[in-house]
Formats: sequence, structure tokens, C-alpha cells
Amino acid sequence: MYELRKVDKKFPGVHALKAVDFTVNRGEIVGLVGENGAGKSTLMKVIYGAYQADGGTVTIDQKVVRFHNPRQAMDHGIGMVFQEQSLIANLSVMENIFLGYEAQFVKSGIINWGAMAKAAKEQLAKVKLDVDPATTTSKLSFVQRQLVELAKVLTLEERVDGDLVVLLDEPTSVLAREEVELLFELVRELTKRASFIFVSHRMEEVLELSDRIYVMKDGEIVDVVEQADADIRAIQHKMVGRDVDTQYYREDQQKPYSEEKLVSCHSVSLGQRYKDISFDLHRGEVLSLVGTEGSGREAILRTIFGLNCPTSGHVEIKGEQISKFNARTSVGKGIGYVPRERKIEGIVSGMSVYENMTLSQMQSYSSAGVLNTAAEKSLAREWIERLGIKTPNEFKDCGGLSGGNQQKVVLAKWRSGGSDIILLDHPTRGLDIGAKEDVYDMVREMSSQGVGILLVADTLEEAIGLSHTIIVIKDGMFCKRFDGKPGGKPSLFDLVHHMI
Amino acid sequence: MKLEALKHFLPWFTLLVLVTIIGIANPAFFDPAGLIGLVADIVPLFIMALGMTFVIYIGGIDLSVQQVANLVTVITTVYLANFGMGVAVICILVGFLFGAFSGFITTRLFVPSFVSTLAMGFVALSSARYLSGERALSMDTTLRNENFGWIFGNTAGIPHELAIAGVLLFLAWFLQTRTTFGRALKAVGSGELAAVASGLKVDRIKILAFGISGTLAAIAGLMFSVKLSGGDAHIANGFLLLSIVAVLVGGTPLTGGVGGVINTVVGTLIVLVIRVAMVYLEIDATQQQLVFGVVLIAAIALTIDRSKLRGVVK
Repeated sequence: MYELRKVDKKFPGVHALKAVDFTVNRGEIVGLVGENGAGKSTLMKVIYGAYQADGGTVTIDQKVVRFHNPRQAMDHGIGMVFQEQSLIANLSVMENIFLGYEAQFVKSGIINWGAMAKAAKEQLAKVKLDVDPATTTSKLSFVQRQLVELAKVLTLEERVDGDLVVLLDEPTSVLAREEVELLFELVRELTKRASFIFVSHRMEEVLELSDRIYVMKDGEIVDVVEQADADIRAIQHKMVGRDVDTQYYREDQQKPYSEEKLVSCHSVSLGQRYKDISFDLHRGEVLSLVGTEGSGREAILRTIFGLNCPTSGHVEIKGEQISKFNARTSVGKGIGYVPRERKIEGIVSGMSVYENMTLSQMQSYSSAGVLNTAAEKSLAREWIERLGIKTPNEFKDCGGLSGGNQQKVVLAKWRSGGSDIILLDHPTRGLDIGAKEDVYDMVREMSSQGVGILLVADTLEEAIGLSHTIIVIKDGMFCKRFDGKPGGKPSLFDLVHHMI
Repeated sequence: MKLEALKHFLPWFTLLVLVTIIGIANPAFFDPAGLIGLVADIVPLFIMALGMTFVIYIGGIDLSVQQVANLVTVITTVYLANFGMGVAVICILVGFLFGAFSGFITTRLFVPSFVSTLAMGFVALSSARYLSGERALSMDTTLRNENFGWIFGNTAGIPHELAIAGVLLFLAWFLQTRTTFGRALKAVGSGELAAVASGLKVDRIKILAFGISGTLAAIAGLMFSVKLSGGDAHIANGFLLLSIVAVLVGGTPLTGGVGGVINTVVGTLIVLVIRVAMVYLEIDATQQQLVFGVVLIAAIALTIDRSKLRGVVK
């Protein structure tokens, strides 16, 4: 009934969807799985109209359709239940349900609240939620809000001729096990009314709920399996795909690390973000934190850099306990942070390459507060040369450089200042292959020079290829530690198994 | 040349066009003595705008400058007899503290600067009204001339007021372009989160920027008071709008990070020329603020960096 044929989507430098075929039959629950960056969210955005495909066709009941925005998709019966909930917290439940479609209750410019409440009640009955439609949405529990969101999408039933397709994006990620059961029961019942596309990191749940499962990798559908034939291990192998090319990550250059501790975390917790995390980072060691999106890895990095303060436990940097968590202190102790949001936290767009490089160490390039610009520029020229940064000169606006070169500027900022603890948060995100390899080279080089590196990698292959030690974090908790010496590295499957 | 690059020269171009038009309409405008007089007249406004530049450069705004200047005129007039020239020190201190306190409220209590400075402006207004007893005060002329007469002298045809403006401009320019503080201001204005993640003491930098704005507003108030030989709680009214206009038409956008003190020189001159033009065109005094209001909107619309707003304007 709903079908994508050979759908293609390209972004600058990334081929996000490659000739994807995807079908949803009436009353079916279709699962969609894949690693981060496999193209799941792009595919969903194409389906609910947030993106337009560059090639291929979308058909509903054999008729070709083209959506320019989500509203048009909704008018064709396609609705999305967002992971980050889209309800407006200070509106009432019924206002949220009919947001943008209030016209049906309006008479001479006045909303008939009674009629809206009655209609909302009917929608809430579909999802078996018994709350007063006039309740302010923020007063509901998370599960209740999720159900309201679902009810909102199900209003399409009355509004649209034909069948509904409802996308569920990670609907279970914050639900307790019993709540998940209830949700699944409800979804199964609702297949009378609609078809579902279920996207989740939790493989068991996808297998439990879906009639058919699509497996994505690198923008392609690599497999479609029926529920009866599905096997978790087989799907996980398909998801991560090819073998790791050891050469690619310069594994032969991996040197053993020393015993000197640079960072020690002792039972550090930060509210609900992560709990009871302990580990040591040694001089020359590359330590990867792996886990799914939202497992709390980034928050751990940000704590060590002083951007958030842990609620319990303590952190020692080079044997000294940190009492005041702020970036200033951490920089002073030789920590450098390469953030995921490169353009926002990494570089200052609008400032030149040399100004960016000395930003964290201006006191070394000034006397009595007056800058020694000549020294700054010569430092910048040296590092442009050393890291092969592609820029016409050191005066160029850093915001105008390519992503890979911006990343090199950030690394140069920390390395030129003598930082010997480097925190890398998705350092290769959005970079092309060549630039990624440059980053791998730099990681290896820094490690052999005695820099301790804490890595949150973009892919598992990266983490395995680059690290001496791998720690799996699941739902904010320490899950498993792997030794990653060349020859004895864990396999992708070992990791995925503990992550999900 | 790209449109973005042209934007950079827009203030200079505007100034040139306006001057040309006035010059054609009234060639007497170019008479050196008259010009110097006109420019000297606008010095207090320029100094106030100079301070405002620092705050707008980091992406904030200071709505208290006019009231701080008002308060300072009262303080100068009331305490001139007691402290003589030392009253200047008190004024500068008061200005700095008002600004720094606004900065403190903004950074530590997370109150946006347009509210914190507006509120501090009212604190200054009340203080001025209390201190002046709601009256327009005047200075003892002898005392004024003894202590501050030098401000209005001339040396080799150059009014001392202009020299003071020049010295302050040089200091501000040096601070902005040659010091670690200036570089930090630019980083905060262009990308505050990256500045934090580079370990800069962003709060302190912001507080200092507001402090500078308050200090320069106080100096403007002091000059004003000496010039008019008196003070009251409303004497500098009208300067707030003009100083914001001067900074923005000069090419320092509300979103911060670009422009700077040299731009404010151009902006202030544009304000001056528009004022002169309004006199020639016999635009009624009651309508002048309307003109500047329109100019302000146009300047903001032309200079603001929409990519930094991420589609949200409130």
C-alpha cells in the first residue's frame, strides 16, 4: 500500500540514502534497524515529508505522491510520533491534539471548547488514555504524553481518506519494561486502524513487535527479514557489515601505554545522565567509551572537561582531585576538548585561523594583556604546515574552512598549548574519508607522543581500530571493559551485544 | 564583490552620500571652523556610544547609559564644591559600578541584558531624582571654570573636547584590537560557547564590558554637566536612542562579533550629519526622534546576522 522505490537522498559530501526500496502493507508493523548514521532518520524524514527525495518515487496505493512538507504527508495519512516529543507543554491535551486543525471547532471566530473536548476524548479512547482533555500537558507523565502524541497522529483517521502509516521513532527509549508491554499491546490492537513503522535501538523489542524488519547500513537496505526468520545475531552482523580494515586505523602503529595515570574517575555520577562511572586514563592510552545514542558517554566527557559538575564521586587529574568544575581549570591542567558541535563549541566562526588557535592560551602570547600578534601568526603558520591545514593563510576566517580543516584547527589549538589529555567527542562526524584518515593519524601520533585520549567515536569500527581500551556504557552505567591491544581486539559483535 | 563584503563598507558609503548631499545643498557645511564646532558638539554622545559599542560587540545591549549620565550630571553638580576635580573620580566609579552590576545581574542571575540594564537605568534615575531633589541644579561658575574649564579650551584650533574624544577612542581601539581582553570580547561576541570551551572567563569578560559602558556613559555625563554648567535627572534624555543608532548604523550589529569602535566613529558622524540635515530641511524638533527611530530599525534590519538568530526572534 505504501511504497518507496529506488529512493535516493544526497547531502553535500554524504550519500545518505542509496536506492532504498521500502514497503508497508495495510495493518503491518514494520521494523527499521541500523547503526547511528546508517540513514534511518533520513529515511524517516523522507517518509513524513521533512525531506524531499532526490530520486526514486513514493507511491500510496499505486499513486505517485510527492510531499513538500510534513503537513502534506499528514494529509495523505502519514504521521510521526517523535522521539523528542513534539507536544507543547503549556497547552492543554486537547489543544495539542488538534494543534493546527482547530478550524473544525470554530464558529464565527470562537472555538467551541466543549466540542473540542468531546472530540479529544474520542481520540484518547483510541489509545486507552483516561485523562481530562483540558489537563495541561506538562502535568502528564512521560508515557501519557507519548500516548497523547499517538492520539494526535490518529486524528488523521477521521481527516484523511485511505489508510494511515504511523512512524514510531524510538518510542520505548525512556519507558520501563511494563510500559513497553502496554505500548506494544496497544500498537498491535491499533493495526486495525493503521500500519506502523517502528524504529528502535533495542533489537529484542524490534523483533518482538515487528512483522517484518528492514536492516539498514550506510544508506542502503542490506536485508529484509520476516519475524519468523529473524535472528538477533544475524541481524547485528548485517548491521555492522564489513570486516574492519586494520590498516585503515593504523593499528600497526599502536604502541603500549605507560602506567602514569592522567585521569581517574571514582564512582562519578551525574543525576540520571550516568551513574557510578570509574576508570583510569593513562599516558599514551586511547580509551573509547562506546554505547548507543543517549547512553551518557558525551556527558562523561563534558564532566571531565568541567562543563558539567558531577552530583557524586570525584575526578582526579594527574593525581590532583578536582574541586571546582569549570573549563578554565581543566584547560589549566592540560585538558583539551574537541566537541561534537564543531562549529558552535569547537571554533569561533568569524575569527581567523590564528585567533582560533591561540584562544585557549592567549596569556602565552601576550605580555601585560597586550597581544604579541607576530608570535601568534608564526605559531599558526607552523601548525598549518604541521597538520597540513588547507587554508590560503592564517588570516582566513575559520568558519569558511571545510569541516576536516576546522577539526585540525581545534586540535592545533590544544596541541600547540601543550595539552596532554585530549577529549574527542565524535571527532570524525561529518568528515569525508580523507579527512577521517587524517584524524586517525593524528590520534595515533598524539598517543605515541604520550597524550592520553578519551574518545567517543562516531562508529564502532573507529573505536575498535583506535583504542587500547574500550568501555561499554549502557543506559549511563558501566557495562563491560575490553582490552584492545592489536591482535586481541574485541569484535563488533562483542560490543553491540553489550550495548543493546 | 560579494554582498556580504559590501555590507562592510555600507556605513562609510552612507556617510559619504549624506555628506555629499548636504554639501551640495549647502556648501557652507564644509567651512572648517563650523565643521569642527559641529563635531565637538557631538563628543558626549560619541563617548557614550563608544562605551555602548563594547556591550553590543559581545551581543548585549546597555539601556542604562542615558540614566547613568543623568545621575552623573547631578553628582557632579552637587559635589563639585566638596571635591573639586576629584568629583570626576567619583563619577567614573559610579558609572563603572552601575555597568558592572548590570553585567553581574546578566551573567550570574541569567537576566537578559536588555532587562538588567533597563532596570539599573531606573535605579540610576531614582538616585538622580533623590539627589537633585527633583530640581534642575546649576554649578557655581567660578568653581566650574577652575576645575573643568580646561575641557572647553582650544589648542592650535583644536577644541580640547575633540582631543579627549580622540584619546578615549585610541584607548578603546587599543583595548579592542591589541589586547587579550579585546580578543576575548570578539570570541564572546562571535561564538560564546566556543569561548567557554576554550577556557575563557566569559562571565568576567562580560561584566567588564558592561563596566566600560557604564564608565564611558559617566564620562559623557560629566562633560555634559560641565558644558551646561548644571545637572538634573533628565538632562541627557534622548541620548540613549542616539547612542544605539550610532553604534548600529556604524556597522556593529546587535548580534555582536563584528564592527567595533572605529565603526562607532562613522556611526556617530552619520548621526551628526542626519541631525544637521534635519535642521536644513527644517524638520520640526518633535519629529526628529521619529526619524532616528526609523533609521534605527533600518540599521538593525540591515546589519543583524540572521544565521546567529537561528530563526528565533522575540
